[in-house]
Amino acid sequence: MADQPDRRGFLKVATCALGGGLGLVVAAPVLRFVIDPATQTTVTTPSEPIDLGPAERFHGDQPTRVEIVAPMIKDGWTSARDVVLGAAWIQQKGDKLVAFSAVCPHLGCGVGYDGAQFQCPCHDSKFARADGAAQSGPSKRGLDPLDLKVVDGRVKLTWASFKLDQAERELA
Amino acid sequence: MSWLGERLGKREPTMMRGAPSWAATLGWALVFLLALEAVTGAALAAFYSPSTTDAWASVAYIQDQAALGWLIRGLHFHGGGAIAIVAGAHLLQTALFGAYKKPRELTWWVGILLLVLVLAWAITGYVLRWDQAGYWANKVEVGIAAGTPGVGSVIRALAIGGNDYGNLTLTRFYALHIAVLPALVFGLVGFHLWLAKKHGNTPRTSTKETQPRFPGQTIRDAIVMAAVFAALLAYVVSQHGADLAGPADPSQAFDARPLWYFRWLFLLRELAGSAEKLVAMAAPAVVGGLLVALPLIDRAPDRTIGKRLPYVGIAAGLMALIAALTLVSVVSDNKPEHQKALAEADKLATIARDNAVLYGVPATGALGVYDAAPFAKAKRLFEQRCKDCHDGPKRKGPLIVQGHGNRAWLRGMISTPSGDAYWGHTKLAKTEGAMKPMDALKPEELDAVVEWLWAESGASDIDATKRKAGEAVFDGACSDCHSREEGVSGNAPALATLGSRAYYLSYISNPKSALHMGKNSEMPRFDAELSLADRDELAAYLTTLSK
Repeated sequence: MADQPDRRGFLKVATCALGGGLGLVVAAPVLRFVIDPATQTTVTTPSEPIDLGPAERFHGDQPTRVEIVAPMIKDGWTSARDVVLGAAWIQQKGDKLVAFSAVCPHLGCGVGYDGAQFQCPCHDSKFARADGAAQSGPSKRGLDPLDLKVVDGRVKLTWASFKLDQAERELA
Repeated sequence: MSWLGERLGKREPTMMRGAPSWAATLGWALVFLLALEAVTGAALAAFYSPSTTDAWASVAYIQDQAALGWLIRGLHFHGGGAIAIVAGAHLLQTALFGAYKKPRELTWWVGILLLVLVLAWAITGYVLRWDQAGYWANKVEVGIAAGTPGVGSVIRALAIGGNDYGNLTLTRFYALHIAVLPALVFGLVGFHLWLAKKHGNTPRTSTKETQPRFPGQTIRDAIVMAAVFAALLAYVVSQHGADLAGPADPSQAFDARPLWYFRWLFLLRELAGSAEKLVAMAAPAVVGGLLVALPLIDRAPDRTIGKRLPYVGIAAGLMALIAALTLVSVVSDNKPEHQKALAEADKLATIARDNAVLYGVPATGALGVYDAAPFAKAKRLFEQRCKDCHDGPKRKGPLIVQGHGNRAWLRGMISTPSGDAYWGHTKLAKTEGAMKPMDALKPEELDAVVEWLWAESGASDIDATKRKAGEAVFDGACSDCHSREEGVSGNAPALATLGSRAYYLSYISNPKSALHMGKNSEMPRFDAELSLADRDELAAYLTTLSK
């Protein structure tokens, strides 16, 4: 019976190894599985320009808010037509049209227009009407411009999302 | 010994140290509230559907249609607020009594961890309703977390399950809310209770004497539980459950606010100005750090409040500060702009919820609920795209309102084509090309041609003899300019199928067609502007005006 302590020691190690091993064998694939979406483009939105109708619609002295509706998106396991992605503010600047994303560059709320400047209802950031520059409040940069072209009299807007709450403008 | 007794063993009365106390009831009140969350949560899970298309619809169904759904949902939602209040009181009481001192440090720390987990639990629940309030609050919260230096974008991707808000966002928060966090919280509550039982209530005067918990302590526990529940129930009934805004709309701004128990952080960030990021990270860390540190810095065995004033001050001061900030933040919502935005959001919520009850939420997505009423979308399109020219002061074309296209309208059109309600506002009316009033027609001829035109819309209430006569009148008086054969154009608009759905669809699509106004049309084409489905719905809506 002199080997008894050795035997107990071995069984202790073996039990722990089996138990721990079982835990790992279960945990590893589960973890890989649940982090998978974080590594994927789970929501696919169109990268091609979205038609917003004739340019006259946006002529005038006030900015116009438009819903950006994607003709088709893929969201995880579903696809859907005519999905609202967000909104943009479009206004005349000289003889051109310019567009700002209505997503507040601070933390992503929807930016409104109070008749003189753009303002975010969540944390009260204010942006200049003319160029979207940050005026007051917590936003670290101005409104994000969106690529807008007028082709054959029709407005084509390219939707984009940007990283929030930083001074540099970086695509998300 | 009874059958059960043989199997379960003899029950020893549970003993406690010191006298029964009201202060010690708060922990059990929390256990009761957590159990209430579990029961109501399980019931809600039997209705809830975590997907971007269904989530709001299922919550609206619970709130507005399922029997007592409002009550169950209200207890679940406001139960979370009750937990925040009672947990705060429990923490304060524990701190005042010095109950975190040796040997109960671990009990205290597990309690702090539980508080953090319970608050996180509330955040994972608020987004599930996928209404404007929960959606935008979550966007801001995830935005704050995404600002963590270095790992922010990884945290964001893990939290929302991918690159953007979508189905996987809901399924992830749902899994956290109903599986992961409950398992962690109930496991830790078990550990917390086990530790609490092991060390017993903290006696205010040192005593080794023990007595059974029953009935002195248990009746106090039960009374406090009942009082807490009565208060919660009264509040839930007064609110008719919990609020529910319109479905999440990424294009529609919303004055997002966090759940009320995070309002102190919301206000702190606002006060911090450009240092808000630092404050967002530092404030919870400082509060948490101070609470965790209490048993380490206040180590003397004496629990008398008078001898521990600095430490009691820290705990009570923190709680008072948090309560004050919360109050100030909630009161600051009385600003008129915020109230106006809330009122507008309320209006949308009412439309969406009423439509959900009356017509159901379209399976294609909850935002479709706004258009679920008959011709809602057509009416909206008319408002946006047609009304300026066809109704109101700046009108450029014929008036299109109720009655458009019916017999009276047709009669008026023939008698006064350039009348105010007809083509009077058009450029054409001021030219030689305008139609002249058909004064030469005898009253019965006018009647007959109106009957023929009315029949073209597909109407069934037709006097066949009159119609036949109308055809002859038409061929005599109108056919120089107008064709009455389908698909054949004349010098003026073709009148075959006038007033039918197909006619309106064709007209809206291309009024500049030779079949319609040709180059005289000031109205733009809509065949590229509006989808076929939208134009068709508008056309169908226009036919209803003549009914």
